[in-house]
Amino acid sequence: MHRRTLAFGLCLTLLASGCRNVTQTAMPASPATRPIRLPMGYIPSVQYAPLYMADERGYFADAGLSLDFDYSFETDGVALVASDELQFSLASGEQVLLARAQGLPVVYVLAWWQDYPVGIVAISESGIREPADLKGKHVGIPILGGASYVGYRALLKGAGLPQDIATLDVIGFTQVEALLAKTVDAAVIYVNNEPIQLESKGIDVTVMRVADYAHLASNGLITNEKTVQTRPELVRAMIVPMLRGIKEAIAEPDAAFLASKGFVEGLEGETALVQRKVLDASIEFWKTDRPGYSDASSWSTMQDVLLEMGLLSAPLDLSRAFTNEFLP
Amino acid sequence: MGTDLALRRLNKNEPEDRKRRLSRLARDPWLVPIAAVLGLVLWQGITYWTQLPSFILPSPLQVIRRFVDTAADGSLLRNTVATLSEVLGGLALGLTTALSLGYWLAKSRQAEKLLSPYIVASQSIPVVAIAPLLVIWFGPGRLSKILISALIIFFPVLVNTIVGLRSVPEELRDLMRSLRATRWQTFRLLEVPAALPVLFGGLKVGATLAVIGAVVGEFVGADEGLGFLINVARGLYDTALVFVCLAVLVGMALTLFGIVALLERRFCSWQESGRSL
Repeated sequence: MHRRTLAFGLCLTLLASGCRNVTQTAMPASPATRPIRLPMGYIPSVQYAPLYMADERGYFADAGLSLDFDYSFETDGVALVASDELQFSLASGEQVLLARAQGLPVVYVLAWWQDYPVGIVAISESGIREPADLKGKHVGIPILGGASYVGYRALLKGAGLPQDIATLDVIGFTQVEALLAKTVDAAVIYVNNEPIQLESKGIDVTVMRVADYAHLASNGLITNEKTVQTRPELVRAMIVPMLRGIKEAIAEPDAAFLASKGFVEGLEGETALVQRKVLDASIEFWKTDRPGYSDASSWSTMQDVLLEMGLLSAPLDLSRAFTNEFLP
Repeated sequence: MGTDLALRRLNKNEPEDRKRRLSRLARDPWLVPIAAVLGLVLWQGITYWTQLPSFILPSPLQVIRRFVDTAADGSLLRNTVATLSEVLGGLALGLTTALSLGYWLAKSRQAEKLLSPYIVASQSIPVVAIAPLLVIWFGPGRLSKILISALIIFFPVLVNTIVGLRSVPEELRDLMRSLRATRWQTFRLLEVPAALPVLFGGLKVGATLAVIGAVVGEFVGADEGLGFLINVARGLYDTALVFVCLAVLVGMALTLFGIVALLERRFCSWQESGRSL
């Protein structure tokens, strides 16, 4: 009897503590701020410096938002936004179209990266200088899907080359190791990342950028149709500090890198030198005369590539996939 | 079949009513499919009443439709065969290595003392952490997946082999010695039969783990297999296809488990009848 009472008391205590946690989570960080969990799609990285900078300088707080950076998978972020569990996520252009094709009501509201950061890298001594040199070669790719695959296919299409010009080897995210071990002749990479890592090891590389062959909708901020319709002020509140962060990161790369140190572990010594170059290369993709603006032609090209790849079965209403109406 | 196994594992001291319930289940095999159908109806009802979008929870009908589509275009069969070949390759490699090493370790205390710390330490390494390295070392083809699959089943089979061989009663070894049995005769007529029940326990775990190992390898980097297909489906927000792949993987693991259980019934029938060695 005594034991049963004790167990009952323990259950009540657990229940009460659970309720208290729920209450704490549901409460905003302060009466004036609204918590926003933002799926980033990748691990903590200097590539997110504008967001770190805007957060550190209090721009999100000024807009009444308290940001919680969530480094989960891109597809999970898109699904959470589509189901209105979350209101915002970072996502690439192809994800928006693929998601909408499956009925996910996501809307791209801010173009952060002006061009597609994917490319093909080869070690210079391999003799590969341009896409045509890939004929008969083995090209490593992380996965037969996502931005890497779309970028690869778009590059070949833009260069007027057949899609079977090279053999694709799916190697996971081991491009640098695979190139160094010479198990592949070239690899599909992020232009602002792997080539810099290879160069930091003293290796000369040739980089072929997708951006030089096709203008594709790239990474930016997405929300869902419900938020667009019912809470447009929230979308604006999110966009304004983000744009400010992007502009200031471009203008003050040193400060942007310093801000990243508060969010990214291990930015010291040799790593700091490499990551600083990663930031500089990333900044090149953010520069534009019209920050945040989505170019309709980049969406149209993206759709063409996805249709040709068979990832879309029919054209979509692109006007519903993106909007510039929330830009200041 | 599952209920039969559960029955066999029942301890004699367990309550009679539980035994009765299980024996009733064994007598009425249609209860299992009925439960499955009820589960499907409940699932369909949930998706109908909650109106959840299909990318969150597809209905059973949507999953069945996707199953038919992928079966018709051949992609499901192609990827299932790829995964199955990796699983069988992993099982063959993992079992051969674990059984041989297990026999040696069971016989030699010195070898066990020398190697067991390393073997146990190797088990603390998560397979997902080492899988990308295996892909780099052995290439992106099927070999790296076979190795990952073999690695994941190695430990449970090894441990069960050692435990099984060491569980042979000493008096029976004395009997074999008094009969002047050769080493081979002792192995074939005493050690193998005595170790089989425990060994089959390890095999059952290994058979299901091998499927997980192959899929982990395919997640890291592959252009075929059910793990690859799940990755593609996730990228396309095709949750119904993810469910199809999961169902096939479950079916594959259950089939392998069932085959081991059948072999156990075939080779350990003496144990079921309650006879001892």
